[in-house]
This record gives sequence, structure tokens and C-alpha cells, in this order.
Amino acid sequence: MNASLRRTLWISRITFLEAVRQRFFAFLLVLSAAMVLSSVSFRVFDFGHGELKFIADFGFGGMFFFGSVLAVVMTAQLFFSEIDNKTALTLLAKPLSRAEFLLGKFFGAWAVLGVFVVVLASLQGTVLWAREQELLSLADPAAKLTPSFNLEGLLQLVLLQWLRLGVVISIVLTISALARTFLFAVVVGALAVVAGQLQWIAQDAFLRPTDSQLYAAFLWVSTRVIPNLQQFNLADALVLGSAGVDDGAILAVVISGLAYLLAYLTLGSLIFRRREI
Amino acid sequence: MSSAISVRHLTKDFRIGIRGLKLRAVDDVSLEIPRGQVFGLLGPNGCGKSTTLKIVLGLVSATAGEISILGEPSATSAARRRTGFLPEAPYFHKFLSGRELVRYCAQLSGVPDSDVDAAVEDALGLAAMTEAANRPIGTYSKGMLQRIGFAQAVVHDPELVILDEPTAGVDPVGSAAIGRMIHAMRDKGKTVVLCSHLLGQVEQVCDRVAIMDRGKLVLEGAVDDVLARRDRHVMTIEAMTPAARAAAESALAEHGAKVTSVTHPRRSLEDLFRELVTGSRDA
Repeated sequence: MNASLRRTLWISRITFLEAVRQRFFAFLLVLSAAMVLSSVSFRVFDFGHGELKFIADFGFGGMFFFGSVLAVVMTAQLFFSEIDNKTALTLLAKPLSRAEFLLGKFFGAWAVLGVFVVVLASLQGTVLWAREQELLSLADPAAKLTPSFNLEGLLQLVLLQWLRLGVVISIVLTISALARTFLFAVVVGALAVVAGQLQWIAQDAFLRPTDSQLYAAFLWVSTRVIPNLQQFNLADALVLGSAGVDDGAILAVVISGLAYLLAYLTLGSLIFRRREI
Repeated sequence: MSSAISVRHLTKDFRIGIRGLKLRAVDDVSLEIPRGQVFGLLGPNGCGKSTTLKIVLGLVSATAGEISILGEPSATSAARRRTGFLPEAPYFHKFLSGRELVRYCAQLSGVPDSDVDAAVEDALGLAAMTEAANRPIGTYSKGMLQRIGFAQAVVHDPELVILDEPTAGVDPVGSAAIGRMIHAMRDKGKTVVLCSHLLGQVEQVCDRVAIMDRGKLVLEGAVDDVLARRDRHVMTIEAMTPAARAAAESALAEHGAKVTSVTHPRRSLEDLFRELVTGSRDA
């Protein structure tokens, strides 16, 4: 195996082990799982929406929210624990480049969030499938209802959510490479996630004609620097088929996510290279 | 052959505060550390010795100056591959066992897969940590932490080992064990750089010393040369009576020599402690 890849994977491995031992991870995982499972009992509050859609929105909403919290707080914590405890001194005095260290942190955190997404999506998929089977068995056979739950869509959703969290991790690592304190990294990381969720507003405004070149330039920069995190939120469309999503659109989202991920990791590595430990 | 470490006109300024006030931590230091010796870098807290070592290892950038390690520019992977480092007050992931930590560091240091097992066992043996190697690091005493830190520093058989305050907070027995490890490294032909303010230990284990103060190098040389007072002599005499002493002083006076002090030889408190406290190794 390539020596650089081997070093990166060892950093990832230890980062993963450190993360899964944290109570914060276990707490958020249990909380999110409870939210997904409780979505069945909240169905009476569906406000006139389709019941399965309500369950999907509620459960996947919890996954999006707690996944983002975990991506921001856990990533910053994993980075700053190495800096503050000075384990980074021991590691970076070895033939390990700063980029390998940062990439190792990225893959370790991303693997943890992969476990988080897979566990919650599996639970949510089971809840949706079971409730759908229950509803179909209660329905009038003459209505000839067809199941809407789509396992392939669920797998695509897992992939997209994992990628979305990967983009968030890469942004938080870039901020951490620059930040002096854990608190700064968490606050700015959280703001970046909110900005990413609202990026479509800037995109929308950019498409409208404006007289101010400065405003147009601001929008142009904003829409390119900040990733559109909303584009990954295709939960009910993919899982329940509530709207058509063609493969080309999913591919475009994946390419966009990977491009942002690579760009932020490159930027983070360049910043971290100059940091004094 | 090139020096183990060559430092030429090294200067380091830190910018502090919003106004970016300049604080000079290392001021035009030049130093040659020869290979195969134990070199002590001494000085009070804040004198710039740890900063100098961090610059040598590429963890902090220099404001000015040139540094090479074993003939290679410092801060390169090639130089770090031949260097081992034990930081001051080392902290390691508590959930790992000692053996897992040393294996992790062996992998990061580029030890080939086929050699990792043997390298890990050698390093644990050298640090006298084989028995406790499977225990989680969170259960280790301070002395054991330093020893496992030493093991991770030497697991890839580096030519140069840099130890930053390796005995800080360690009891005299543990300190003596670290001293033995340093001697073992020298016996294998390695260069050891020891950064410390425990002067007694440095005197015992080092071949050469340099003293830094306020960022500047104020003295550098072989331990014997810098400590010896060539114009004074010490004789240790058994069963000396007052008459014998008077006769000796008179004989010396005939040759123009003068006895300036007569005292009883003392052993150090550390020697006495080590003599009395045996078998209390914290393994």
C-alpha cells in the first residue's frame, strides 16, 4: 500500500475509534433514533399531509438536523483535541504531512457519520415500510393501491446525506485549521451550515436582474463559495416517489458535492500547512 | 560527515495581541550537534529551548536562519523519518493500549508492515514497558507515560532522538530508568538531544551541553570542559588526622600551593534516594 495512504488511513482509524467512544456521538445517535421511531406515534398530527410523507419528513428531518450538529461539533472536537492535548505534536513530528493529518481526520469523521446515516436511514426505512404495509392491509382491495416505499431511493438518499455531511465536515475542518479555539470553529461552522441551507435564496436572487454590480458580484461569490446544502434534501422524493428525480439530477448533485468537498479539503490543507503547532 | 543537527543564525519572532507586537523567542542561535553523542540543551523556562526544538522538527516556522537534520533540510519528511521525538508532558489517546500506541506510531513512521511486530516489541523492551503494554494508556502513571512516549519515539529506529523534558514530574527511580534508556541509545550509536532544566541529570547523561537564556545561546561545549576548573584540584583522603593534615598543608606550601578548603565528600540526595528506594519501579 502507498505509504501516504497508509498513514492517512491510520489517522482515520484512530479518529474513528476516538469519535465512537465519545458520549456525544452515542447521545445524538440515540436521540435521533428515538425521534425516528417516535414519528409513528406523531402521525395523528399530520396536518392533512400524507401520513407516510409526514413520517418521512419528521424522521429524515431529525437525521438532517442531528447529523449536521454532529458533523460540526464532533469534527471540531476531534481536531482541537489533537491540538489542545498536543498529540498533534507527537504525530506531526513523524513523517506525516499536514495534508495527510487533515485527510485522516476527514475520513475518520466521515466514517462515523456514515455509521450514523446508515443506522438512522435503516430505522427510518423499516418504520416507513412497516407502516405502509399496515396501511395497505387496511385499505380497500378494490382501490388497488401500490406501495410507494422505494428501497433504491433510500440507498440514494443515504449516499446523498453522507455526501452532504462530508461537505459540512470539510468546511468545519477548513475553519478549524484557521481557528484558534474550538468555540470559534463550532460557531462559524454552524453559521456555514445555516448559510448552506439558505444558499438557494442567494442563487435565486442572482438569477434576477439587478442594477448594482457590487450586489451582483456579492451574490456571484456567495453562490460559489457556499455550497447549496438544500440540493441534497430529496428525502420523500427519493424514498416515497413523491416527485420525479432523474438520475442526471442526482449525478449533478453528487459531482457538485464532491467538488466542494475537494475544494474545501485543499483549502484546509493549505491553511493548516502554515499553522504553528 | 554532517552534524546530527546544524542550526545557523536561527531567529524566531512571535506576533502577539491584536497590534501584532513582536516577541523574540530565539535570537540568532547557531549550533552544531555532533552525531553519536548525548547533547543537553539547557535553560530556564521560556528561554527558547522548546521553540528551537519545534523549529528543528518543522512544527513551528523560523523567522530567519537555516536548519538541517542529518544533512537534510529540516521540516522535510525525509529528515523526520530519521528522527524520533518525545514532547514535553506527552499526552496520548487514553483508549489505546501502550502496544497499540507504539504500533500506530510505527505505522506513521514508515516501518514496513513485515517489521512492525519486531520493531514494536524492541521499542517496548527498550522502554521496559513490555509487561504493561496491553494496559490502556489511561491507567499509566506519569513515569510510564514518559516511557511509552520514549518507546513511540524510537520504534522506527531513528538516528536522532529528541527528548523534551523527558523526566519532568517523574520520580528519581523513573528518571534513572530514562537515563539508562538514553545511555542505551548512545551505545547503539544514536544521537540524543535532551532538553531539560534538571541540571543534575543532564550532567550525568550528556556528553555536550548548550545553555540558552532569553533566546540566546550563552554557552556550548563538552560537559567536562565547561564544568572543570583547571586551576583547582580535589583529593579524597582516608583516615586523615590533624597532624597528617598539617604536614600535608606544609608540604604543599613548600611548593607554593595553598589549601583553600577541606570538606567531607557528599553523595547526592538523588544517589541516596535511589540507594534506599529500590524495587519501587512503577511498572
